[in-house]
Amino acid sequence: MSNVAGKAYAMNVITPVRWYTAWLNKLYFWAAVKFPSTLSGLVTLSLIHYARWTIIGRKSFPHLDHRQPKETLKYSYMLFFSNFNGSWEQYVDSFTFAIPSGLDLFWKWNVRYSKSVPLTPFHDYIQYNQIETPHYYNAYPLASSNDVKSAANVRATLLAFERAASQDESDEAFQKRYHGLLRALQHDLGEMHPTPIVTMAANQVEKRTQWQSRVFEAPNAQS
Amino acid sequence: MNKKLELADIQGNVLRAYGRFGYPAARYVCLNVKNEIRGRDFIAAVTERVTTAIDWSTEDGKKLKPNWTANIAFSYQGLRKLGLPRASLVEFSPEFSQGMKARKDILGDQGPSAPENWDPVWERNGKDFESNVHILITLNGLMPAPVTEDANGMQEAREASLEHREQAYEWLLEVVKEHDDGVAVLGGHCGANGEKFDYQDADVLFEDGMPTAKEHFGYHDGISDPVIEGVPYDEGRVEGRGKLLEGGKWAPLATGEFLFGHIDEAHEYPPAPRPILLSRNGTYMVFRKLHENVGTFNAFLSEHGKKYPGGEELLAAKFVGRWKDGTPLVLAPNEEKRKAFQDKLKEASLEEQERMLSDFSYEDDMSGAKCPFSAHMRRINPRGSLEQVAGEVPGSMIRSMKGENEGAFDTPGALANRRRIMRRGLPYGTVSDRTSDKGNHGIVIMMLNANINREFEFVQQQWINYGNDFKAANDKEILLGNHNIDGKSPSKAVIQVDPESDDVPYIVSDIPLLVETRGGDYFFVPSMTALRLIARGVIDPT
Repeated sequence: MSNVAGKAYAMNVITPVRWYTAWLNKLYFWAAVKFPSTLSGLVTLSLIHYARWTIIGRKSFPHLDHRQPKETLKYSYMLFFSNFNGSWEQYVDSFTFAIPSGLDLFWKWNVRYSKSVPLTPFHDYIQYNQIETPHYYNAYPLASSNDVKSAANVRATLLAFERAASQDESDEAFQKRYHGLLRALQHDLGEMHPTPIVTMAANQVEKRTQWQSRVFEAPNAQS
Repeated sequence: MNKKLELADIQGNVLRAYGRFGYPAARYVCLNVKNEIRGRDFIAAVTERVTTAIDWSTEDGKKLKPNWTANIAFSYQGLRKLGLPRASLVEFSPEFSQGMKARKDILGDQGPSAPENWDPVWERNGKDFESNVHILITLNGLMPAPVTEDANGMQEAREASLEHREQAYEWLLEVVKEHDDGVAVLGGHCGANGEKFDYQDADVLFEDGMPTAKEHFGYHDGISDPVIEGVPYDEGRVEGRGKLLEGGKWAPLATGEFLFGHIDEAHEYPPAPRPILLSRNGTYMVFRKLHENVGTFNAFLSEHGKKYPGGEELLAAKFVGRWKDGTPLVLAPNEEKRKAFQDKLKEASLEEQERMLSDFSYEDDMSGAKCPFSAHMRRINPRGSLEQVAGEVPGSMIRSMKGENEGAFDTPGALANRRRIMRRGLPYGTVSDRTSDKGNHGIVIMMLNANINREFEFVQQQWINYGNDFKAANDKEILLGNHNIDGKSPSKAVIQVDPESDDVPYIVSDIPLLVETRGGDYFFVPSMTALRLIARGVIDPT
């Protein structure tokens, strides 16, 4: 699979930070967690499942085995990891349209960061530093994060509706309550179907993998 | 507004919806280039007569208003055939070089809308060299001011506009004849009874002898077209048509959203082919012929109208976000307010009317109680409303707040400002039987944007044929959505109500396919400078 699985896209971006300014990033991250209102733009962008920034110190990279050559890194690195719905462009563009100043704050001290506006150098920066996701599993390919939130809301609201029912409730009272239920769920009743094609490239990958699986299955079918 | 565009270098159809400027009769002609050199001679001859965007609003300008307009655009294959250097060609966007047909899966042109069901001129496009649509020429005939105010005067004026269109077409045929070793007109535009024409006509619809702004379903159309920086005749039309700022004010959109060579909303020049003289003051045009299933629409509306508590007319308004007469639901959510709005509108000056019809946002309708989330208007231009989160009242939405009066995004229109499209459309065909889908009638729509993928294709795919940004999962836009394309899965939409009222949201079920694609392609509309360079064959990106 490409970076896409169902309605979700996985993005990893790893960018160098000078080791002596990495603490500044950590300070911003701490402040952002401490004062969540600074992240309200991010939260409002409902296409995002989640986004995470973290600093990996130049001496913290895993060394798994003595046979792995030791390396001396010049930089610390910032790892940005996110899952979201829609295409790469839709996501990156939404970020830069909605919260350009917030992005600049997080990436400010990164080596050769272009700033989020103008857009084309920012696109280039992210693309250059992105690590592709050749294998990506999605348990609910039909669901976007909004769909999951809506489904959870429908379930909770329905269960509460059922709990509140009683034998001696009049028909009128029940109808009134039922109408209230529909009103409460009026933004949660969208129908779930497969994703629209994310990009032509992702669509070609999808077709190719389906084609491969057919070819690989074919000899078995014959034998 | 300090910026002034070079109006004499920009083609007139880019900045003007001709229908609004007194040109109710249009004709679209597709051509194939047979020979590069003679093809370029043809371009040179046409360029002599191409209508620019010069200002007609001044006393001097009025004299310059031509009896008919002519504009020209090229497909990627056309530019290739005319000998543009490879270095320039590769810098056009991938979707433009692929063409509309190849993008059908992105656009949702499937089932009845699939390219194999398009008019022959579009269906054959790309199949062999002789059938490729290389050039699109658009002509418009001027309707003079009627001599008398009555139906007779109007009829005469209308006939004059048709006569002007014929003059334009005769001119074009003459130029084609002089260059018939270089270009050929491509036939195969379907008429009402399946007959094939060498051109596609589109005409303002007349009702009781008077011109209207309606399309075949009966809605007023084309009201909120974007306004950009630097167009002198649009200066008074910014409210509701530009971009929404904090505090409810409006500003013109950056020119680069629609024209190459100008700064866009991301503070850069939009990606465009070199040399700059080839692209500057040019743009991309999306041409689509859309058939309207009038019989299906009327049956569908009347069936739901019987069940919908607000009645048929209000339901029709809910589909679009405007009453059929154009009154915005956000400003007039019920019949009483609609009447009051129309009374006020009739008293207002033309300029004031334009403002009244467009100057609103969804600030007071974040839950969709007035204009539903799947209504045509809210989907294609959500204004500032995408900065939304669930409110405390169950079923409500509110604008996300960071501080007291400050939005979560840097600007409320953050997710909408770069998804705007300039629409240039006119109805085509006539409807003789309003209970039938048969015949050939709908809208020819031309949409202009500097980035087809980010603007037109995004709106078509994500906002019309999908609903995630509107918290509506896969629910589609009601009018244009590609409902039930496999014949097995009609879609539905929710008509929201005020979450604090006792009203019940209405579910519009079994939405049939109301609008079908019958053809189209992606074109490049060059500046006058670029036309001359193309005609002379001197494009050099070095």
